[in-house]
Amino acid sequence: MAIYLIRRFLIMIATIFVIATMTFILMHSIPGNPFTTQDRSTSEAVQENLNAHYHLDEPMLTQYGIWLKSLVTFDFGPSIKQPTETVNDLLSRGFPISAELGMWTIMIALLSGITLGVLAALKHNGMIDYIAMTLAVLGISVPNFILATLLIQQLAVNLQLLPAATWSSPMHMIMPIIALATGPTAIIARLTRSSMLEVLTQDYIKTARAKGLSPAKIVIKHALRNALMPVVTILGTLVAAILTGTFVIERIFAIPGMGKYFVESINNRDYPVIMGTTVFYSAFLIFMLFLVDIVYSILDPRIKLHKKGGS
Amino acid sequence: MKRNWKMSIIACLAACVLLLAACTANNNTGGSGGEGDGEEKKVLRLNNGQEPTSLDPPEGFDSVSWVMVNNLMEGLTRLDENHQPQAAMAENWDVSEDGKVYTFYLRDDAKWSNGESVTANDFVYAWKHMLDPEQAYQPAFLAYVIEGAEAYNSGEGRADDVAIKAVDDKTFEVTLTSPTGYFLNLLTNPAFFPVNEKAAKENPEWFAEAESYVSNGPFKIDSWSHDKELIMAKNPEYWDADTVKLDQVNWAMVADTNTEYQMYQSGDLDRSSIPADNAKDLMDSEELVTEVQAGDQFLRFNVQKEPFTNEKIRKAFAMAMNRDDIAEFIRGIGEQPARGFVPYGFETPSGGDFREENGDLVQDDPEEAKKLLAEGMDEEGWGELPAVTLTYGTNTANERLAEGIQSMLSDNLGVDVELQTVESSVFSEEQTKLVYQLFRGSFLADYGDPVNFLESFTTESSSNRTGWSNEQYDKLIADSKTESDETKRFEMLMEAEKILLDEMPIMPLHFYQHVYLQKPHVKNVVMHPVGYLELKWADIE
Repeated sequence: MAIYLIRRFLIMIATIFVIATMTFILMHSIPGNPFTTQDRSTSEAVQENLNAHYHLDEPMLTQYGIWLKSLVTFDFGPSIKQPTETVNDLLSRGFPISAELGMWTIMIALLSGITLGVLAALKHNGMIDYIAMTLAVLGISVPNFILATLLIQQLAVNLQLLPAATWSSPMHMIMPIIALATGPTAIIARLTRSSMLEVLTQDYIKTARAKGLSPAKIVIKHALRNALMPVVTILGTLVAAILTGTFVIERIFAIPGMGKYFVESINNRDYPVIMGTTVFYSAFLIFMLFLVDIVYSILDPRIKLHKKGGS
Repeated sequence: MKRNWKMSIIACLAACVLLLAACTANNNTGGSGGEGDGEEKKVLRLNNGQEPTSLDPPEGFDSVSWVMVNNLMEGLTRLDENHQPQAAMAENWDVSEDGKVYTFYLRDDAKWSNGESVTANDFVYAWKHMLDPEQAYQPAFLAYVIEGAEAYNSGEGRADDVAIKAVDDKTFEVTLTSPTGYFLNLLTNPAFFPVNEKAAKENPEWFAEAESYVSNGPFKIDSWSHDKELIMAKNPEYWDADTVKLDQVNWAMVADTNTEYQMYQSGDLDRSSIPADNAKDLMDSEELVTEVQAGDQFLRFNVQKEPFTNEKIRKAFAMAMNRDDIAEFIRGIGEQPARGFVPYGFETPSGGDFREENGDLVQDDPEEAKKLLAEGMDEEGWGELPAVTLTYGTNTANERLAEGIQSMLSDNLGVDVELQTVESSVFSEEQTKLVYQLFRGSFLADYGDPVNFLESFTTESSSNRTGWSNEQYDKLIADSKTESDETKRFEMLMEAEKILLDEMPIMPLHFYQHVYLQKPHVKNVVMHPVGYLELKWADIE
């Protein structure tokens, strides 16, 4: 186990390094720079001063060196677009907010998704199944930004029940959580249903029934445990994506999370922020995938981590 | 039984928590000002769209920073309701006979929000800081009219040689390289605002947080939750505090215009911009407010690429437009068609309007356009017009405009142009390298003078981006900057504009306009054409 962990950790570091290097190359190969403006004039001298200030006049290799240093020390320096703040400021301010929204979303998606999926599987081809799966199809096919706008229009503008946007009280969290959780709920419900159906036909379930176990015990202790494997598989990616913020939902509800930095930093060619967000996100994602592997071994004792480590 | 009893207590508690949450939410979103507070506070709720780039006056060189800084700070002069510069931190000033030396006398009661006096040294410190090449402030070039400023900012001169000095605590002297007719107007740009030297030296990041922000304008920062909300309170130390009616201004930072509009509808905001999809329906709204914006949208011709090497062909394209239709149907937010480059709203020395006096410099005339196109092609000996591509930065509004132009060129001139959309930053960069043939351009003023527009097309200007160069034009712009007679200066600028639109390296399309919705109880909010919002006189009834 310990050897596996160490190996896994080293591979993680190497992966992040590769991602970081590729980001650097890609970032500098797209034309444009952080200071080009379309609407306003500026002077040559000012441009040169700006380039010097952010080390953009140095040779690429030097810039790469500066960047590796910032990566190792985890200090990405000031944002170019918001010069009064460092990338670390932006991340440490935005991430807790995105994570708070994300945690609720994941919890609600898991609870309602698994419940719907299990109910649908147990009442296979029954009324509940059809209702649950219609909801799931709707949930997958209605994009969250449409749902978000609809929710605001109905609940905030027409009925005046909830505040339209911004992020300050629990009431402000209700609509974004619903909008964000609907898609994952639907995916989880469908996954749970299909794998539950598969599991329910297996021999050991029949054995359990034959032993006279209560239906609840069969479902929760024997069936669900195996049926959840596919859900756990997607959970790693899902959690990483949702916890680090979603551009669209955060934008629509004016939530000051970190979702917008992923998109806007690229549009603005805000190099330090691009690097900071990419590295942060990839590190987080890799860590989540690692956790998923551990959860596998808990759910299915047949999976031995040290054997997998070699692959 | 016992268990049920416990459950109901928990249920009650949960209900209470929910109820409480609901109440606090309602308080936050309730009407303007705390009703029932005894004395009613006047609170204006606005949206800035995003976190200001920086509240350090010269650092935030954009409208999202200016609207805030202009209300927190004040320069030597300030724009009045008619967008003319008036005495502000400076009570009055003398100008030397050659028009080059300005001596400003600061008000005795000019104070910082921490109670300290605003001194001439605060201006000297702020301006030299702005010009410091190591700080790399974008608007530094605006100050190049000051003697020694360009040399210092380009790294060739010394800070001590910049011709600004504090004669005494309240007297500030500036020497310009040449008489600059628009200097007092230029000073209203936030780049020229003072900085409290003591505060800035104690904490170089003084502008980053509410606690350390020292302001000298009508408002001060009460609290600032980054990326979320900034609350301004009336600044009691402001010299003209009696004029300021509002007690508080709450700034939201909502980027999405649909959300902004929905918050306006649900009563969370007093003012909102207009979502593009709703523009047509909202144009008749009684809450609609429009104000002149100093800026325009146009197309640049690359005069080094065929077919736009030929002047007549450029003119033919320009005349094939139907500008009324562009303004009315494509833009659809009540803007003016542009038949010149300098927008409406710039007063001439005789009291007229620059745009009206210089007249329409390009006509919408499809017949003449066809004729010119044929003549141009004859001149070049082309049997067929070289293929033309119209390039623009990716966004919906640009796309609509480009499609409109495409169909006008096809209908009125019989020319089929291809459209090409390019990611915005790439577009900005490549146009400076003259990669494109025919491409979208826009200009927003940095300060309120026609020369700000026209200097964009001198040979050396970074905004030229057309490859066009005209010696006489360059000379007129340069001479206008040293001309002390305002009437003559305006004549030069009008002459220059005529040359620009006679040779037509650009074709103007329409002028911009500030358009927004505002609740009827909000009064006297002024948006200056150059893009600074003014809340000094704003009131809530």
